Amino acid sequence: MSKTLSQNTAGPINTFLIVQVIISILFIAFLTWRLYTVIDSGAYGPDTWLRFAISGLIIGSVYSVIAIGYTLVYGILFMINFAHGEVMMLGAFAGYFVFEALKSIPVEATGLSFLDSYQIVSVILAFLAGMFISAVVGYFLERIAYRPLRGAPRLIPLISAIGASIFLQNAAQVTFGPKRRTYINPASLQRSVGWRIPVAGEEVILTYTGVLTFVLSILLMVTLYILVMRTRYGRSMRAVAEDKQTAALMGINVDRVISNTFVISGVMGGAAGVMWGIHNGIIYHYVGFIPGLKAFTAAVLGGIGNIPGAMIGGMILGVVESLGPAALGIDFQLKDVIAFSILVLVLIFRPSGIIGEVLSEEKV
Amino acid sequence: MSKRYLFFSILVAVSLILAACGGGAKAPDVCAENPDETVCAVIEPGKTVKIGYGGPMAGDYSAFGIDISNAGLLAVEDANKAGGVEGFDFELLVEDTQGSGEGGASVANLFVSDPDVVAIAGLTFSGATAAAIPIFNAARLPMLSPSATRADLTGGDQDVFNRIPFTDDIQGQFAAEYLFNVLGVKKLAVMHDGDAYGKGVAEKVQEVFTSLGGDVVAVEAVTPGETDYSAVLTDIGAAKPEAIYYGGYYPEAAVIAKDMPVAGLEGVILFSDDGTFGDTFIELAGENAEGVYAASGAPVSSPRVEEFNTYFESVYGDPPGAVSTFTWHGYDVTDALIQAIKSVAILGEDGNLYIPREALVQAVDNMEGYEGLTGMLSCNAGECNASGPSFLVVKDGAWVLP
Repeated sequence: MSKTLSQNTAGPINTFLIVQVIISILFIAFLTWRLYTVIDSGAYGPDTWLRFAISGLIIGSVYSVIAIGYTLVYGILFMINFAHGEVMMLGAFAGYFVFEALKSIPVEATGLSFLDSYQIVSVILAFLAGMFISAVVGYFLERIAYRPLRGAPRLIPLISAIGASIFLQNAAQVTFGPKRRTYINPASLQRSVGWRIPVAGEEVILTYTGVLTFVLSILLMVTLYILVMRTRYGRSMRAVAEDKQTAALMGINVDRVISNTFVISGVMGGAAGVMWGIHNGIIYHYVGFIPGLKAFTAAVLGGIGNIPGAMIGGMILGVVESLGPAALGIDFQLKDVIAFSILVLVLIFRPSGIIGEVLSEEKV
Repeated sequence: MSKRYLFFSILVAVSLILAACGGGAKAPDVCAENPDETVCAVIEPGKTVKIGYGGPMAGDYSAFGIDISNAGLLAVEDANKAGGVEGFDFELLVEDTQGSGEGGASVANLFVSDPDVVAIAGLTFSGATAAAIPIFNAARLPMLSPSATRADLTGGDQDVFNRIPFTDDIQGQFAAEYLFNVLGVKKLAVMHDGDAYGKGVAEKVQEVFTSLGGDVVAVEAVTPGETDYSAVLTDIGAAKPEAIYYGGYYPEAAVIAKDMPVAGLEGVILFSDDGTFGDTFIELAGENAEGVYAASGAPVSSPRVEEFNTYFESVYGDPPGAVSTFTWHGYDVTDALIQAIKSVAILGEDGNLYIPREALVQAVDNMEGYEGLTGMLSCNAGECNASGPSFLVVKDGAWVLP
């Protein structure tokens, strides 16, 4: 798509490019004007802006981790795994059940439950369980829903993915029931409790769960980046992404690399699910759907198929969602409109995303 | 050959029908004149008199549907133990509307297509009810809703809809007065979920609170179903309200309660409606539920209410009001309809039970002095109960009077 676009714009008159530039300038001018009037009106103090930013960065970091799952699969198979939000939801449930189980185990030495006695171990166990379950789901998703369709036109696996998404949602509803559940966090990770930062005479709370989510997602993404860019295994992944046939001729087991990609994307989804549960608290069978869509938007925004792009796209989306309605002075119910408008604008004006997809010959 | 057989078979069929009609029933007058199931329900021996209930039985708001229908089932059980009507048993049909308008319409069509359904103990949720009313009105099925509270449901060009809860307008007015007079709040932020019920009650609170002389400093809507409202609450926090009124249901109210501290709203009162009231809210919000106010339509205690409470808990495990605030209402509407059906049903000489539909609609519309769990119910233009809600607050993990 990029290539055809550049051929068009390489024409002598470049009308498309001119229109693009004019619209962009008008848009930016409008945004600047709105932002100026809102800030000038003094409706929001610095403490409020900081709160918006914190809220956006935390949500954005979860979007990033989910977006990585979309990006990895797209990078290798050029398909959108729409069931990824549900993979995340199942990871969140796995973490929930681990916490619930640990809460019911008493520890005699402390007189508290296992969950409150060994909090770090409990959190690690919950993340491992979430990652494991999501990895298993991701693996079987690929085996059952996508592998039989390999080689079919691109639209076919996409529809299969939507079907898998609906199936997993309903399966979760039947299995776990329709009611919402609240994550039972360890004692020191209570929600809405955290460090208090004095800003302009107000106290801004930086929650422990939020910091955990943010730091952990950065760590996960850096680890993954190193895995893909610096290891032998990552090289085989990139080789498959570049050209499956040549990779196979070089002795790479393409099927296994694809399976492993789904497992890794599941691991990221599971971690995101547990983070979501710990920070946001309430989970149910539908909890993965909207974050899944947002993360997909984030992946496209940053440049789908590109790991740093997913990271930056997620953060930008989170902050824009949180700050956007306030900065533009519009109703907060419209924040999804802002998010998806960004998706449309990116698709129109810069289909390769902010950072840009690393295009191989085959993809073009 | 086929033509001759066809002729014969039609002849036989027609004579059979004529025989059935001619030799048959001495039905009550109105029913004998109109041998049509749309005018008169005919319940044959061995069948049951069916009452329909539609509500959200699965999904986000299933707590309401399951709880209300459970209470209705008890009312049917009690009525059947007492002999039913002329030896016929009652039956409550429970269908899932998913709480949506489309679901309400499809459940209404389902009930209308069953000739043995004579009355509707519902529906639950105003949106679903609004979609169902025209369908039931055309079919002359009287409705008595336990929980549909949107103000504009009664009235209009229909006369089948009645309800026993207080309306959203009354609730909104009481809530605004309570906030202003009892809690002494002068700066209020109003939030809702954009739904007919939540938005309606929130707008009424805003209107009354302003007219009382209070200051509404912010109005915001949230997107239902999300689990993070910190951004929208931060926006509200910038306006420094003394209390937030939230019009909507418990899942979103729980998220708001959780996110208020990070939004700079520590110590600000969260005040909500009867869609939030219930133990499910406390379960979801955990420690953040402390100090949250909500409205409740729970009845005042009496020996009969206590007896019902004990029995309900022994059957379903939860006391009434724990899952939703409409448990007693669910029992009352079903039982009141049963009494109305008893008052109009006629046992024909052919052993069929005849229920004239128009008479039943009038009986429910003009219900007078029915002694229910929720109090004395008399219907006037669709409103059967005009008493207001009581307000409760969460203290040490339980709803208590403040």
